[in-house]
Amino acid sequence: MTTLADPVGLRRRQQRRPERVAIRPGEVEETVSLVSSAFAMVAIVSLWFVLQALLLSGFSEARDQHLLYDRFRHELAAATAPTGPAVPPGDPVALLQVPHLGLSQVVVEGTASGDLLAGPGHRRDTVLPGQQGISLVYGRVGTYGAPFRHLTSLQKGDQIVTQTGQGRTVYVVDGVRRAGDALPAPPTGEQARLTLVSAEGTGRLAGLQARNAVYVDATAAHGQPAPARGATAIPSSERAMSADTAALPMLALVLGLLAALALAVTAARQRFSGALVWVVASPVAIALSWFTTDVVMRLLPNLI
Amino acid sequence: MRRLAALAAVALMAAALPWPQAQAVAPVAASDGFTRTKSLTREFVQPDGTTQEVDRRDVTVNVDHTTDLQTRERIHVSWSGAHPSGARASNPYAENGLNQEYPVVIMQCRGVDDPSAPAAQQLDPTTCWTSTKLQRSQVQDSTAAIWTRDLYASDADRQVKSGLDPYPGAACDDNSATFYAHVTPFVAADGKVFKGCTSGTMPPEAAVGSSFPPAEQEAFTNTDGTGDTWFEVRTDVENESLGCSYKVACSLVVIPIMGLSCVAEDPAFASVDAACRGTGQFPEGSSNFANQGVDPAVSPVYWWAASNWRNRISVPLAFATPPSVCDIVDDRAPTPFYGSELLSQAALQWAPAFCLRKDRFKWQQNSMPDEAAFTQMQQGVSVAAEVSGPRDGDPDKPVGYAPTAVTGFAVSFVVDKPDNGGEVTSLRLNARLLAKLLTESYPATARGATHPGLEHNPLSLNLDPEFRALNPGLGSIAQEAASTLMTLSTSSDVISALTGYLARDADAVAFLNGNADPWGMTVNPSYRGIHVPTNQWPLLDTFVPASNDDCLKQNPAPYLPQVAAPVGTLRQIAAAVLDGWPLVATKCERPSPTDPWKLGRVDRQGVGTRFLLGVTTLGDAERFGLHTASLAVADGAYVAPDDASMEAAIALAKPGKKYQPFTIPGAALAKSSTAYPGTMIVYTAARLTELPKADASKVAQFIDISSTEGQVPGRGNGQLPEGYLPIRGSGATKPLYDAARAVAKAIRAQKTPKAAAPATKPAASSSAVAPPAAVAPPAAAPAPTTPVVSSSETPPLVSARTAAVSSSLGGFLLPALLFVGIAGGIFSGFARLALRRRGVR
Repeated sequence: MTTLADPVGLRRRQQRRPERVAIRPGEVEETVSLVSSAFAMVAIVSLWFVLQALLLSGFSEARDQHLLYDRFRHELAAATAPTGPAVPPGDPVALLQVPHLGLSQVVVEGTASGDLLAGPGHRRDTVLPGQQGISLVYGRVGTYGAPFRHLTSLQKGDQIVTQTGQGRTVYVVDGVRRAGDALPAPPTGEQARLTLVSAEGTGRLAGLQARNAVYVDATAAHGQPAPARGATAIPSSERAMSADTAALPMLALVLGLLAALALAVTAARQRFSGALVWVVASPVAIALSWFTTDVVMRLLPNLI
Repeated sequence: MRRLAALAAVALMAAALPWPQAQAVAPVAASDGFTRTKSLTREFVQPDGTTQEVDRRDVTVNVDHTTDLQTRERIHVSWSGAHPSGARASNPYAENGLNQEYPVVIMQCRGVDDPSAPAAQQLDPTTCWTSTKLQRSQVQDSTAAIWTRDLYASDADRQVKSGLDPYPGAACDDNSATFYAHVTPFVAADGKVFKGCTSGTMPPEAAVGSSFPPAEQEAFTNTDGTGDTWFEVRTDVENESLGCSYKVACSLVVIPIMGLSCVAEDPAFASVDAACRGTGQFPEGSSNFANQGVDPAVSPVYWWAASNWRNRISVPLAFATPPSVCDIVDDRAPTPFYGSELLSQAALQWAPAFCLRKDRFKWQQNSMPDEAAFTQMQQGVSVAAEVSGPRDGDPDKPVGYAPTAVTGFAVSFVVDKPDNGGEVTSLRLNARLLAKLLTESYPATARGATHPGLEHNPLSLNLDPEFRALNPGLGSIAQEAASTLMTLSTSSDVISALTGYLARDADAVAFLNGNADPWGMTVNPSYRGIHVPTNQWPLLDTFVPASNDDCLKQNPAPYLPQVAAPVGTLRQIAAAVLDGWPLVATKCERPSPTDPWKLGRVDRQGVGTRFLLGVTTLGDAERFGLHTASLAVADGAYVAPDDASMEAAIALAKPGKKYQPFTIPGAALAKSSTAYPGTMIVYTAARLTELPKADASKVAQFIDISSTEGQVPGRGNGQLPEGYLPIRGSGATKPLYDAARAVAKAIRAQKTPKAAAPATKPAASSSAVAPPAAVAPPAAAPAPTTPVVSSSETPPLVSARTAAVSSSLGGFLLPALLFVGIAGGIFSGFARLALRRRGVR
């Protein structure tokens, strides 16, 4: 969409203000105008991305959570909520509540960048939240609703509550852990450990530059029994701060669609009035760029 | 000598006690086992009123051990002098063995057969466990109700309906007034009475598809009157209704079926009297593959009838304190040691010896991969690790290794002989056969045979000419589970020892490197050139066979790794062998025709056609009575794991440097023709410096106790179970014993390291934050866990420090985009302004 904004706008304004002198090829003004258009386009693309990542994506996450909550509620009532070990990625597996942060999110299965667009994700090679053993839950810190924005403000003793198909488990936070800190002792016997994983930045604009993974450990004295699982391995795209390069083909497709839209708008402008074309093209353009941003997010580290 | 004295003492006691319904009883008790001879008869009353004895047998029953029994332990029951059986069933368990003649019924009952015990503790047919109602309740017409003509039956049992008063006709789905019926209700430990006449009125543990297979058997007596079998005892953990525990006495009841004794013939009951006098239709020693009907008077169906029941020999069983006793009676916080699963059976007996005494600390053993346990110990997360080999550690933090147990791995198996011949008790394997099994070189089924490179290999182990030459006389039906060796998915010193055995064998190494064996079998190309030894066996095969099957199309997974299906703990493998239940995960199933297909674990193997091999600990193999294979050693010999062969291996061990582990040199082991190659030493490893005093004295106390009273063979608390070679202050194990004492002393002393004075300690330790290079799997991965099995028996691997995980892209992307966006906007705005000022546009 943005690629076309200027040439088209230029023409429109020329029509409206015929008194202006047209630029002739080879003049300095032509170069300045081109560069200006290019920069305007870059600015629009960048700012759209920032706007969507920080603000608009929150709406889509809230919508996803709304649907997931309805679905998970239904599964809990019907006693069909999953108890592991093999849950299809993207399915709701637990309800995570942190009263201290006012956080209430449905946890989905899978920690690839794309899974985390819908909310916090459960790492697939660990036990489900609430079960005996160690369970890892990843969540974004700044984008897509930023469910784990205030994770580091948790303190020892705060409660974390999970609700799964097996019941309610109340964890007590052991503390925030960063690189180099000692790992907590592994859970023994019936203990269950929940480790929330997100990212954080440093310095000014810390909220924008989530650079390092950060962990919050919480322990429950009595976990639910975990079903036996064989050897599981997860692709590297589901590890902390890793990107999902599987989105590249999709990116090529949506960029192609955007280009096609640009050509279509240019062609349509020859035959129909500008207003008509934009009324038809704008929703398509916004939807395509929204979707493109979602695909680009999958190519970025999963915890930002 | 001791046995003779005991015999005499018991004989005296026996003479003093009034033994119930004993015609001639000569009990003989060994220290732990059980032996008793009883004279059994079958009698018919003649028309003239005299009783004719038609059969008399002196049956001697032996049980190898009866005390301190643990969960699911198998005991060996043998007998002689019994009536030879006929119509042998391939599966002798529960209802499957009912169509046999003259078998020996073996079952577990709550209570004891002792007239001096209170009535509530007396055993009775109603406290005997059976898995199906067919074994408890019978409905017959008047011509076949032979129990009513039993000579010893009470008057109540001669009625049309008997067993329960009033007879619950409606509850038992029996509304006929003319049919004869007898029920033997089951009285649960909590006093609840289960009528036991329909599947709905059986106790919950008898439900179809319950988690444990039936234990009670109708075992077969050979034509010479002898027989033997292994019986798995159940505690209240597995069977709450039966409820046997260290508090509730139980017995093993052995009833050699002699046939019913019958009252005098009465013309009014001519046909039922004839049936009662049946003596069998099948010849002695014959098989009953078609499961045809047998002569009811000599079948095990009427084990509860008075004339069979009086022939019982009951063996009192004493159970050990359960593993949970430490959690119940001792509320102190446990001091967990992490490490080798080889120690778990010893820990079952050792832990109560610590927690039940207030002057000792509360010891707890947790299984964990050796590598991770060692790292954790060195970083101070746990006080001690149980490992079975040397580790590269931080040289600034010296570690002492105290020999704690000599045990090892076993290749356990359950294999049935063809044509109803019973279980195979010995098997011979060599390193190349193990290499073939581990490398998934047997294609298992026709699906696997489409694997490139495996077309000419035998389908499974029992078809391999090399195996058949070593073990003649086994079945030749290809089996999926017979193509693999159940093993561990996690890293373990057991895998190092197992693959070390392969690495010492030239034939096995040549096979792994791609050379065909003399019969033309070649290694699976995915594993060609694999390096041994290794401490973790990888799943390398990725071949997905083509298939038109809906299920397999929906679940396109590599086939041979699903056949191998390694698991997280050796205990799971032992349970799989015990149950005859392969881990193979190739069964297509779906809950209903509208659900998607999924692959799951295959069914239990049928008794009679079992063929299953797995790597287990020697402790588990002994506890569960699993048969273990003999492994090939030098000079064409085969060595089974026992005390002598383990001692021969220990005699080869060379001590390491001071406080360091012993090594059993591979070259010497390869040359020995008597040493068991699976022998392993388990060490308690703890830091010699910087360990807090309290912890150090606990570790030293553990080493002191485990290396002295913990090395006394026996079944009691604190003693050393079978499967472990006692470490003694004399003989081949003396160096180990001395090393344990020395290390205990050094750990207790905790000398300050000469390199670092206390003041500089923090600096020294922070410089050593990076975990040693030997840390378990992906150290670069997100630190808290690496993928592991999440059973409580294997806590996840832990590297001791949180690793740094960061992404510079994540750090600068959004600020950079924001900056570019704003700068671009400003520049573009200025450019426009400038153009407009010059009158353009």
